[in-house]
Amino acid sequence: MQEYFSKGRLGRLCLKELRESLRDRRTIITLILMPILVYPLLSMALQRLILGTVSGPSDKQAYVLGAADETTAQVIAAALRETQRAAGEGIRPSIDIVRLPPRSVGDDSTSTEPDESTNQAIRIHRDAAFSLVVPDGLSVGEALRNGVLDLAVQVGTVQKRALGDGRSSPVFDFEMEFREGDPRSEAAMLEFRKAMQLVNDYQSAMLRGPSIPPAVQLLATAVGQRMDPTASLAGVLPLVLILMTITGAVYPAIDLTAGERERGTMEAMIATPAPRFILLLSKYVAVVTVAVLTALANLFASWVTLSTGGLGKALLGDRGFSFWALVQILPLLVIFAAFFSAILLAMCSFARSFKEAQAYLIPVMLVSLAPALVTLMPNIEFSTLLGIVPLVNILLLSRDIMTGAPAALPAFAAVISTLMYAAAALVVASRLFGAESATAGSQESWSEMFQRPKKWRELPDLGELAIYLAFLFPIFFIVTNLAGQQNLSIANRLWTNAALLLILFLLCPACFAWYRKLRYRSTFLLHFGAPVGSGPAWLGAIRWVGGLVAAVLLGLGFWIIAYEVLKTLSDWGFGKLSLERSGTLDQLTREFRQIPFWIIFATSALIPAIAEEFFFRGFVLSAFRHRVSNGRAILYSALIFGVFHVINGSTLSIERFVPTLLIGLALGLLAVRTRSLWPGILTHTIHNGLLFWLTRFDKQELEKWLGADNEHFPWIWIVGSVLVVGAGLLVLWLSTPDPSHESPT
Amino acid sequence: MVRGQPLIAVDRISFQVGEGEVFGLLGPNGAGKTTTLRMVMGLLEPDEGFVEIEGLRTDHHASLIRHRLGLISTNDGVYPWLSVREMLMYFADLYAVDVEVAKQRLEELSDLLGIRSFLDQRCSTLSTGQKQRVTLARGLMHDPPVMLLDEPTRGLDVVGSQTVFEFIELLKKRGKSVVLSTHRLDEAERVCDRFGLLHHGTVRYEGRLEDLRALTGKTHLVDMFIDLIRSDQEQKIEPSVAGAS
Repeated sequence: MQEYFSKGRLGRLCLKELRESLRDRRTIITLILMPILVYPLLSMALQRLILGTVSGPSDKQAYVLGAADETTAQVIAAALRETQRAAGEGIRPSIDIVRLPPRSVGDDSTSTEPDESTNQAIRIHRDAAFSLVVPDGLSVGEALRNGVLDLAVQVGTVQKRALGDGRSSPVFDFEMEFREGDPRSEAAMLEFRKAMQLVNDYQSAMLRGPSIPPAVQLLATAVGQRMDPTASLAGVLPLVLILMTITGAVYPAIDLTAGERERGTMEAMIATPAPRFILLLSKYVAVVTVAVLTALANLFASWVTLSTGGLGKALLGDRGFSFWALVQILPLLVIFAAFFSAILLAMCSFARSFKEAQAYLIPVMLVSLAPALVTLMPNIEFSTLLGIVPLVNILLLSRDIMTGAPAALPAFAAVISTLMYAAAALVVASRLFGAESATAGSQESWSEMFQRPKKWRELPDLGELAIYLAFLFPIFFIVTNLAGQQNLSIANRLWTNAALLLILFLLCPACFAWYRKLRYRSTFLLHFGAPVGSGPAWLGAIRWVGGLVAAVLLGLGFWIIAYEVLKTLSDWGFGKLSLERSGTLDQLTREFRQIPFWIIFATSALIPAIAEEFFFRGFVLSAFRHRVSNGRAILYSALIFGVFHVINGSTLSIERFVPTLLIGLALGLLAVRTRSLWPGILTHTIHNGLLFWLTRFDKQELEKWLGADNEHFPWIWIVGSVLVVGAGLLVLWLSTPDPSHESPT
Repeated sequence: MVRGQPLIAVDRISFQVGEGEVFGLLGPNGAGKTTTLRMVMGLLEPDEGFVEIEGLRTDHHASLIRHRLGLISTNDGVYPWLSVREMLMYFADLYAVDVEVAKQRLEELSDLLGIRSFLDQRCSTLSTGQKQRVTLARGLMHDPPVMLLDEPTRGLDVVGSQTVFEFIELLKKRGKSVVLSTHRLDEAERVCDRFGLLHHGTVRYEGRLEDLRALTGKTHLVDMFIDLIRSDQEQKIEPSVAGAS
């Protein structure tokens, strides 16, 4: 396989696939022509649809004011007539007051016309006219919520007040109700307020004193849940972008797989020594590239369309489609393209002809469209659980980026889970691609893929890891979230977490390894004692003891470093320490201290150490060691270890990534050098145990050690811990044989 | 060079091919020729047995074996959007041939197979004959010691078939071991050194033309085959007579 990664060969293989796709006119049509046509057309259609319903008032339609009964309606009409009178007296000559002919508003059955004077829309100026309605059969509140009214007005006390010139003027006490978040209703409220203000100004002018109380007293109340109509419409754009990205990927995916078979080039290609994964990878890169190019073209076209017309603001609120949103959405589309291209390739690898591939893809597209349409529903929240639903998660995340700030935890889950699904789909695709059965015409490749292998093997392959992770991550995510939401006592919560760790990281991988015929001893590094290849027995014993000493030293020293890194990251603003966030530290430590320490030790140190070492240093590290050098395998396994630790119950603790990555590197090194899981379990247990031991002390006790600020360890402790860790690494280096001189197993 | 370790394919099939030798794998449609070649390529895993090339066995060195095999079959197509040069260089990459070596080989094959004039043309613009020559060049880009030809003349006219025969001569001259699978017995008689007559998944006769003539008492392969099929139809189940390997 190595020869295909060197001398730019993989690059040239990808280039061939790209050439094939990009020289094809059909690809170019979807890539360039579609965005140029789709967005202006879409924009025109939406403009008609949306601007009419959502945007502010049109100058032709009067705001509908609702009154509970005819008396109230007459009072409101009187107040509005005051406004006209004020304008007529020249107080605000700029305001144009006209009388409009009667105009029916809403459903006729729900409105009656109280008397002749209110049976008209009263136009205050060119943007504001009111018509008065008394809803029949339902209350003004209901009528307002149903959207029959733009504004409901209740009248309190009405008094008469004498003006200086012998005339008198009524004093009104109005209470307005409007729908919050509905631009039309809000505008009606503001216009009515302006009109009443005019009355007050007029009366103040009449009485020649600004200290006179206003003739109209207004009180505004918002009703109903705040409904953001732009949120649901903002979902349209991501959906269109995603659909266009899919469209871009479909043709190359079919062409490079089923097309290859139809052209008669498949057999010659499969007959070469190039591994199928490499062949598929080069095709995958090409499909993703075309999909991303399509996404870019569409994103740009939609951005231009939305920011030049008024549609952007109508769809996405005042900010419109900002360039910053565009920059954020592009990586999401890339991730989505990576995911969907893998799915498409897996489906098309199955097909023997273009037609067959299309027949497979149409149901897939329709099935994926159904949940996608759900995201268009108003008020659908981007919840934690939706974060792991493929396609829906990216759609909702894009929508939230466009309209405001997305929630961090679902966003993280969306990105990580989509990448994991992509990896798993790619593995499935590479197994299906060029499968002999597809060439020969039988349809058994799916079942063959999940069958138990015939022979026992030493190490898992990366495909098995990808598939396991694609299942584990969403399950882990849901389960830890559900567990975090249960109202359990701290002790029970600790036991639940420990049980979950044992099931997900030990029991399930063990079953998976058994099913896939992976030898436990080599896969999970269960070797206990002198490392293989140690030479004579006495040397082996020294090496084993050396490894254990190193493990203890790493455990004793690393927790302070981990704590300090975590603290420093928190100080820099990368989240807060989880304990502080999920409640008060003091209260939690008090509750913690009531639990016997052995429970804390067992559930938070020993069991996590066993389960996590079993999975991350056993299964994950072994899968990587199978393919890449030990150094890279340690790095990759530590990265996955870090990602899983960022999810902390129902919160996202980004700051935990770096310390977990560091300890993951140390534990990986320990596992590779000693060829055993056990020293790592020792280190992990000591490390976690010491960190939790810290919670046993109260503030006063801690101050004695940590100093008055009670935040960081004294520098002497930090230096000491660095020295201890250094000593541990040195002992490890000296006592264990270099693993690079032997085969991975 | 192919050392004739026993190959059990389809049903107890075994043959060996030497350097510069053309072995004809003959049989009517459905006899199991393509399946046999698939097993040689490692595309199909036999339940038992293996192929050995230059001391390497398919069950242990599947990838190394493929480096030593070239395949040209009836259904071979070209990439319409790639130029001839791009396509041939692509296959050189698939066989992990060094770029400089591949360029040199491309030069050599351009003259040998007369494809130089359209090297930089898109494959979609080529005539059938030109496409055929590109396919033949493709099979030689990694200079394999063993060449498998699966019905290479099916659907070709006289000129096309003649190109294939010339190609086989070229392979012989270069010391390649050639396995030619075909149902065109007349063609096989013309180009093959030895034959394996395949019927219902087993080799009925194997040897040089003279050997077969002696064995069957027939002069032509066609007659031998008709005899074979007739005997089959008459339900005279003969014991499987496999040629000595």
